[in-house]
Amino acid sequence: MISNTGITLETVSRSFQGRGTVVQALDNVSLNCPAGSFTALIGPSGCGKSTMLRLALGLDDATSGEIGIAGMKPQQAAKAGLTGVAFQDAALMPWRSVEDNIALPLDVLGRKRADFTGKIAGLIDLVGLKGFEKSLPGELSGGMRQRVAIARALVTDPKVLFLDEPFGALDQILRRQMNIELQRIWMKNRATTLLVTHGIDEAVFLADRVVVMQSRPGRIGKIVDIPLARPRLPEVFTTPEFHALEDQVAEALDGH
Amino acid sequence: MATETALEAQAGTSGGTPHGTPFGVAKGETGFRHWSALRNAAILLVVWEVLGRFKLVAGGALPAPTDVIIRFWSDRGDYPLHILATFQGASLGFLIGNGLAILAGILFAVSPVAARLGRGLNVAIFALPPIAISPILVLTFSGMTPRVVLAALGCYFVTMSATVTGISQTDRRMLDVVRAYGGTRLALLRLVEIRAALPAILAGLRIAAPAAVLGSILAEFGGGGRFGLGAYLIGSLGRADPARLWGIGLAATAMALIAYGIFALIEARLTRSTRAVTVAATPPGIRSEGSLVSTIAITLASIALPFIVWWLLLKILGTPAMIAKTPAGVFDYLFLAPSATSAQTRLLAALGQTLPMTLIGMAAGLAFAFALALASVVRPGIVRSFMPVALVTQTMPLVALTPLLVLLLGRGPSVILWITISVTFFPAFVTLAQGLGMVSRGALDVVRAYGASPFTQLRLVSIPASLPYLFAAMRLAVPRALLGVMIAEWLATGTGLGNLLNQSRGYLDYGMIWTVAVVSVLISVLFYQIVIVIERHVLRKRGMQPAA
Repeated sequence: MISNTGITLETVSRSFQGRGTVVQALDNVSLNCPAGSFTALIGPSGCGKSTMLRLALGLDDATSGEIGIAGMKPQQAAKAGLTGVAFQDAALMPWRSVEDNIALPLDVLGRKRADFTGKIAGLIDLVGLKGFEKSLPGELSGGMRQRVAIARALVTDPKVLFLDEPFGALDQILRRQMNIELQRIWMKNRATTLLVTHGIDEAVFLADRVVVMQSRPGRIGKIVDIPLARPRLPEVFTTPEFHALEDQVAEALDGH
Repeated sequence: MATETALEAQAGTSGGTPHGTPFGVAKGETGFRHWSALRNAAILLVVWEVLGRFKLVAGGALPAPTDVIIRFWSDRGDYPLHILATFQGASLGFLIGNGLAILAGILFAVSPVAARLGRGLNVAIFALPPIAISPILVLTFSGMTPRVVLAALGCYFVTMSATVTGISQTDRRMLDVVRAYGGTRLALLRLVEIRAALPAILAGLRIAAPAAVLGSILAEFGGGGRFGLGAYLIGSLGRADPARLWGIGLAATAMALIAYGIFALIEARLTRSTRAVTVAATPPGIRSEGSLVSTIAITLASIALPFIVWWLLLKILGTPAMIAKTPAGVFDYLFLAPSATSAQTRLLAALGQTLPMTLIGMAAGLAFAFALALASVVRPGIVRSFMPVALVTQTMPLVALTPLLVLLLGRGPSVILWITISVTFFPAFVTLAQGLGMVSRGALDVVRAYGASPFTQLRLVSIPASLPYLFAAMRLAVPRALLGVMIAEWLATGTGLGNLLNQSRGYLDYGMIWTVAVVSVLISVLFYQIVIVIERHVLRKRGMQPAA
């Protein structure tokens, strides 16, 4: 067992060479997500939140600075099977059935699928796709595909979970449901979670802390703590505290 | 690599792109379409029968279908052995050529450096007119080998470039998922890329199948072996028996069509489950180039590689230097030997005849293809009734077609033009129709919303948007045009490079055979490169990417 499963970014910068220009996607960003915490990243387009996530996943290399996932380099942590990820777009493989798509991380990590049959069945049940085990993604609706992607992110029992606008493509109603589901799942396994989102309500509802980012150059503007007690029930969306926190985040987004 | 993957467009489909045939046939019309295709075929047959029966075309050069069938029946004892021989050469070449092509495609897709190093070799193989090297192969190898090699060469480029395109167009989101779990390069290939490239690879195999048949027949044509449809055709050429020539030509066409059909079926079966569920947000990445020095070094190495391979092959095979000319041998023959001036004169005279015909034929074929592709946007019905005919002429092995065209058109320059147009037209048309079919609906809707007529839509949206495909079509047309001209010259008109090659074969003038082969490949490569330079310049100015 790894004792510290947090995410740390230390003075991380990432710049991209454009045509004769340099775009500073991330400028000197430092962030520390303690083990078991839930952090939401929110910000306007181009503020570098997706860049940050890609760096933490080891999909991209920082220009400078250090990134640690459970005390390891991102690629190492990934290879050790500590991380799980769900992208904005389900990114399912159209030729794999629901089951096989969920099992993909196991195939990548070289784990025996036979040991996980129960786990996969449980996840399919959890995301409400019972009966669709053998379906191909092309036969599912957008919301169902996204739920497959969530199940896939959870199949390895990740200690660190990255979610890149996982519900961005869903309608508001389904999104609320998924938010509540996600909280339930997270409270069960307490993986360190980093959620990138566009939705202020989603961020406030789910996270312990909301990190508000600003663009040009991409940097952290403000960190808003969310002291709401858990489990947060759907009713919390309508409480004055919730609205006050939303307003705080919105103000931070405007640069106040 | 993007610039070399010319045939993918012809190959039709690719991983992430919205699917659909470029010819926009709605599902509900299928029944009607079958019926009208049958009706058209029936009308064609009746007309043909009447023309043949009353000897209305070129004094009986076009025999009636019934005569062809009767002749076929009386020749039925000959066919099995010939078909079997061609099938053996073609299928062995198909297996070897495609096996190598897929491996090479994977290598090039995985390693940009390998792709740049292999570029010269790939372009040379693509541009190589098979007819030019068939005498060399027949001289250098014995038995079935020339057929297998030519069939394999015919498959290589199509499948290699289809593999590269298929892999490099893999949805990046899927790759990210595997990478996020620490997937190695091998895992990416195994779990995502090869599977994602499968439809493209199969489309490549579909195009490669008739190419293998053509390759085998071309080699049979250059000599070597008693059996094979090519050998049969050559043997029957002098007998003034049009019905038999047509029978052989149709048998070869049927063979190529069946090969095409089998892979088209497999492809249709498999691609159904592979269609992308959503549209990828990120375009495939642009590969960064290294420093200037390494770029120059790699480019030079890539140019040198075909020559090195040529030289090495001869060394390994141990063919006598008299027959097998190394690069140095060809240089010696053309510039240093006592007979060099005579060789140069003959070569230049031949080039003077071949080059203008190539350019004219290519331009005509492209113009025809472009006009028909545009017409097909305005009136999709045109394509529907025309496609089956175009498909048959495309899969009809060129060599089988030539004697028939000679019978119809005589031995003047017009036969060269017709053959050249017929070989350049179809791939260009498919590419252009695909490009026009891929024009985004949204862009068309914008001008439509302002009441634009179909022609205004073409002018403002479709034509500019499909410009990359016009260049892709040109890249495809270059080597095919040269091949068409040379075949026509060899078999029909007795002029130009094709004839020089044939004559040198008769005189056992090995130096000239090699020289013609090398020069025709160089010309083809040169034209191809010119198209690429213009393409890069034009597309960069308009902020567009080359079409695959």
